[in-house]
Amino acid sequence: MDPALLIPAADVLPAPWGWFYGLLLVTFLLHLLVMNAMLGGGIIALISSFRGDYPGRMLCREFSYKWPYTIAFAVNFGVAPLLFLQVLYGHFIYVSSVLMAVWWLAIIAMLILAYYAAYLYDFRFEDLGVPRIFVVQLAVILLLLIAFMFTNNMTLMLQPQRWLAYFDNAQGTLLNLADATLIPRYLHFVVGAVAIAGLYLALVGHFGWQKSRVEPSLLVDRGLRYFNLATLAQIPVGIWFLLALPREVMLIFMGRSLAATLLLVAGLVLTAVVLYLGHKQRVMATACVALVLMAVMVIMRDLVRSAYLRPYFSLSDLEVVTQYSPLIFFLLVFVGGLVLIGFMIRLALGCRGEVAK
Amino acid sequence: MNYPVWELTTFGGGFLIALIAVVHVFVAHFAVGGGAFLVLLESKAYRENDQGLLTYVKKHSKFFLLLTMVFGGMTGVGIWWIISLVSPGATSALIHIFVFGWAAEWVFFLAEIIALFIYFYTFGKMDRKNHLLVGWLYFFCAFMSLFLINGIIGFMLTPGAWLENQNFWSGFFNPSFWPALVFRTGLALVMCGVFGFVTGVWLKDDVLRRKVMRTCALWVMAPFVLMVAGGWWYIQALPAAPRSMIFEKSPELATYVATLSWFMPLLFVAALVMTLRLPRGLQKVGAVAVMVIAFVYLGSFEFLREGGRRPFVLYQQMYSNQIALADVPRIEEAGFLATARWAQHRQLGTDNELAGGRELFILQCSACHAVDGPLNDIKPLIRHYDSVFGVDAKLAGLGAASAYMPPFLGSLEERWALARYLVAEINGLKVAGQRGDLNMGNPVFARPELEVSVPAKNEMYVLLAWSQLGMGEIVDDNPFFRLQPPGNDLVAQLVRRGDSPQRITSGVTLSYQLDQPVAGVPGAAVTGELKVDRDAGAYFAKALPAPPYQNDGSYLPYPTYTVTARDTASGVVLATTRVVAPVATEMGCKNCHGGGWRVDDITGLSDETAAQILEVHDRISGTTLLAAAETGEITDCKSCHGDSATDSPGDPRQLSFSAAMHGWHALFLADSVEQQACVACHGARPQGPTHFYREHHGAFMNCSNCHGTMTRHALALLHQEDRAGKDGAAPLIAQLESRAVADSVTINGRRAWEQQPDCLTCHEDFAMGTSVDAFNVWTSGVDELFRNRHDLMGVMMCQACHGSTHALYPAQNSYGGQRDILQPLQYQGNDRPIGNDCTVCHTVAPTFEGHHPNSLRL
Repeated sequence: MDPALLIPAADVLPAPWGWFYGLLLVTFLLHLLVMNAMLGGGIIALISSFRGDYPGRMLCREFSYKWPYTIAFAVNFGVAPLLFLQVLYGHFIYVSSVLMAVWWLAIIAMLILAYYAAYLYDFRFEDLGVPRIFVVQLAVILLLLIAFMFTNNMTLMLQPQRWLAYFDNAQGTLLNLADATLIPRYLHFVVGAVAIAGLYLALVGHFGWQKSRVEPSLLVDRGLRYFNLATLAQIPVGIWFLLALPREVMLIFMGRSLAATLLLVAGLVLTAVVLYLGHKQRVMATACVALVLMAVMVIMRDLVRSAYLRPYFSLSDLEVVTQYSPLIFFLLVFVGGLVLIGFMIRLALGCRGEVAK
Repeated sequence: MNYPVWELTTFGGGFLIALIAVVHVFVAHFAVGGGAFLVLLESKAYRENDQGLLTYVKKHSKFFLLLTMVFGGMTGVGIWWIISLVSPGATSALIHIFVFGWAAEWVFFLAEIIALFIYFYTFGKMDRKNHLLVGWLYFFCAFMSLFLINGIIGFMLTPGAWLENQNFWSGFFNPSFWPALVFRTGLALVMCGVFGFVTGVWLKDDVLRRKVMRTCALWVMAPFVLMVAGGWWYIQALPAAPRSMIFEKSPELATYVATLSWFMPLLFVAALVMTLRLPRGLQKVGAVAVMVIAFVYLGSFEFLREGGRRPFVLYQQMYSNQIALADVPRIEEAGFLATARWAQHRQLGTDNELAGGRELFILQCSACHAVDGPLNDIKPLIRHYDSVFGVDAKLAGLGAASAYMPPFLGSLEERWALARYLVAEINGLKVAGQRGDLNMGNPVFARPELEVSVPAKNEMYVLLAWSQLGMGEIVDDNPFFRLQPPGNDLVAQLVRRGDSPQRITSGVTLSYQLDQPVAGVPGAAVTGELKVDRDAGAYFAKALPAPPYQNDGSYLPYPTYTVTARDTASGVVLATTRVVAPVATEMGCKNCHGGGWRVDDITGLSDETAAQILEVHDRISGTTLLAAAETGEITDCKSCHGDSATDSPGDPRQLSFSAAMHGWHALFLADSVEQQACVACHGARPQGPTHFYREHHGAFMNCSNCHGTMTRHALALLHQEDRAGKDGAAPLIAQLESRAVADSVTINGRRAWEQQPDCLTCHEDFAMGTSVDAFNVWTSGVDELFRNRHDLMGVMMCQACHGSTHALYPAQNSYGGQRDILQPLQYQGNDRPIGNDCTVCHTVAPTFEGHHPNSLRL
């Protein structure tokens, strides 16, 4: 059977695809940042718990305050890119989700458990005592599993030829395990999460945003160490990921597409720069360059997606029947929402002094 | 059909959606109203300077945060997850149509999270006024989430003008938008009280606890007005179709309507009870009870709202099984499996019929039906089917007879494959028979050749006798319903031979006697006189009580009677003849209603079948006949559905028995192969035990030549009922006509039993037929019926010489060739109509065609 026959007909877009494409990339970048803080922070907290030293414990305590926020925002910032992904690639992502439905749905249950575990870790940090390592362990394992499911789905949606497995297993228990990119891609994200979470902790220390009695310098030191080590580790993982890509996809970064190749080069150069800055403990500079680096990575990730789907589909194939008023409505709500959020944060920051007491 | 289907079997049928959605909605309404609850209680605490209350509000806000943000928020995402897994086509449509609505909702969701975090973490630390403001902002954002989602959910049921203009705002501000918003706002406020009980009940300070309990009770009871008014408005705003789906058509939803109507007042009363000065332990139980009541109440409402959409997931756009209406023409043209993207068996053959049927089940049925699961389990629904034909008919009726289900979409072969799969795999039965098989999987009956002797003819008199009906169809005695008295009518005419033969209607006595004993009745006991009707010039015996079973229980649908004419004064026998009085119990109800045959696995209506029929009638028409049967009351079908054949007036508002039976069942049998629709119910299967259509026309015509196809036949009866002002006819006509678009014939109405196809339509001027299409031209009235008509001289009745309807000479009875031609053999020595040899009556051969033109043709 020709796998192309399996691809459902796409629904009509209410605005030109560029809008959704832009919103997808921007909101995904936001999601990535918070998700990395959540997952990588959990991993760092777990490693610190294993080390068992006092600074490690302080670091854990500080992260325990932050963890529930990161989960709340990782989910919220995840909703938007998934929405725009479904608008552009719904006919791919719905299929792959159905094929791995059991795992995909399990994400919700795992997320609820991990979320409550994170709150337990926060609200009962001291009361839990030693067993709290099990709590953080449980939450981290759940979050790692969720990440694994996402990697599976994001790769399975790109490969209609693998969808034929449905005819042997329609129970929704398929995974994309046979895909050579699955493990390096997964590691790329997890290792990257540790790096960004390290940077996040360093920023907390740098700006004095800590709520616990942890020394800010400890957060900067340890945070940047995690950032540097994970970014270093990212080099072999990244190469593995690149080489594991199907030849046609990989070649776009090897000169076949000028933009893709330039982005790869930019990514490599920026990696070298952040490593240098991180080593020098220049927190803000590292963070700024890392942000640009992540934006580059997000665009590269999207180019990989397009290259995978090229035999079947490109965004310009989508039919558009434009109606601008809902778009304008959204933009107004978006701006209004940002103003409202800004106002509320200002109110909150206004009583921070009291909070510290 | 665009997407693959996740095979859930046990947890299919929407179970997962229902589970996640109801749980989420329960918490989500609390999440909206809770904002106002917290802020108003906080202000109350400030106002009354009540530190205890303020502490409670703070604790409640923690509970609120952990419940609504974690569980509520994540299950909200969970709904999106599960609908995209179970209904990806509909999800995709909603995402694409309302993407900016969703995106705006996302902004409010974000602001809501931030507001709640700030509210909770700055409780007691922020300036009171600002803190209350943040609380109100939370409430505003949460309410806006409700506002936006309410529009999109409402669109699924009442798309309104969107169907014409595809405008975002028409879809969003759809006809049920505002009433649903009022209802849900009321509900959201009610929920605050419900959850308030749960946290308040833990307060140890009795005074404070009572205060909180009373406040919560007020929160449940005061917004009740808003909720009930919104609910009432919502029902009024629903278009007729979904409203009737909820309150009338869907049998399953009746349970939810009942639950809702009980649990709504119960919630109010339970809240009232909570205001009483009760011990804390009892209050804890009460708090849990209130929550359970609220959960059941809300769950019922959501089930009804979802159910109202049936058979659509997106009203008038996409069926529940993900088939878009826009795709229907393509499916009808090419078949379903060839059109569905995720079908493996695109062409059906003998080797993959079951596999294809299974695939059809997954793609068309499993969205709503679980297998061995808690919701809409398919197994009990089809348990009574033991024939593929029956399930195939049931599938044909989907969307019409079962309006709450989408129609089956696909070719007839595909429908048969699905039916076969359901019977063979889901019901686990070995099934025989192919599509179009007139035996419908029933055992082939080897009809015995039974001897019957032909009486000798009398030189002076010719006694002609016949049954008015070619077959008297009856149902066996059963404790559920009865159709009509058993037996058949006998008619006889006596002629004195001569140059000018004379019909005798006085001075003679005609009597009948059953020739063979029947079950429970000795043959000699069934005897009596025929009464003269001088207008008709014939003798009649009505409703002879003769079941078609012999003493040994064996089936004999063609018992014979001996009819004797005597001189009344002397008692001398003038003439004797023998006649068959057909009566059959082979009603094929079991082919669809299950239950098997009653007698020897060949004939008769079993009690189980009868009970199932009443159950269906109760379900469809809202009667309680089955319950009545259980108290010993047997339903007389014709007490409501009148029937002129048995002089039953019935209820003048109800369809006549014939119109009701054919009109309703045509929805299922409309596309059966030719006479299959007829023999499925009437005892005329060629391989069945009755085979009542036994005349010579059967060699080249079937039932539909005279009566029309099932649909046409039903339409003729229904049009007549419609003209007579019966409300039940129009909906059936509309359903049938929508399915018979290719039928360009304007169908003439016909009064059941009083009008029939006219023999002279084909046999113009009594000549040999030149056509085999007698449908749609009806005799004008009772007197014109073949069974009541006389020859042109007004002397001999048609049936006297031609035999009974469906057994016209030369007929071939399956229980021995002679049984239906006894008089032609007796008087002529052949099987032709009487008069084939004029000397049967005329001692001198006539030259004038007195009976009718062409009567001298040999």
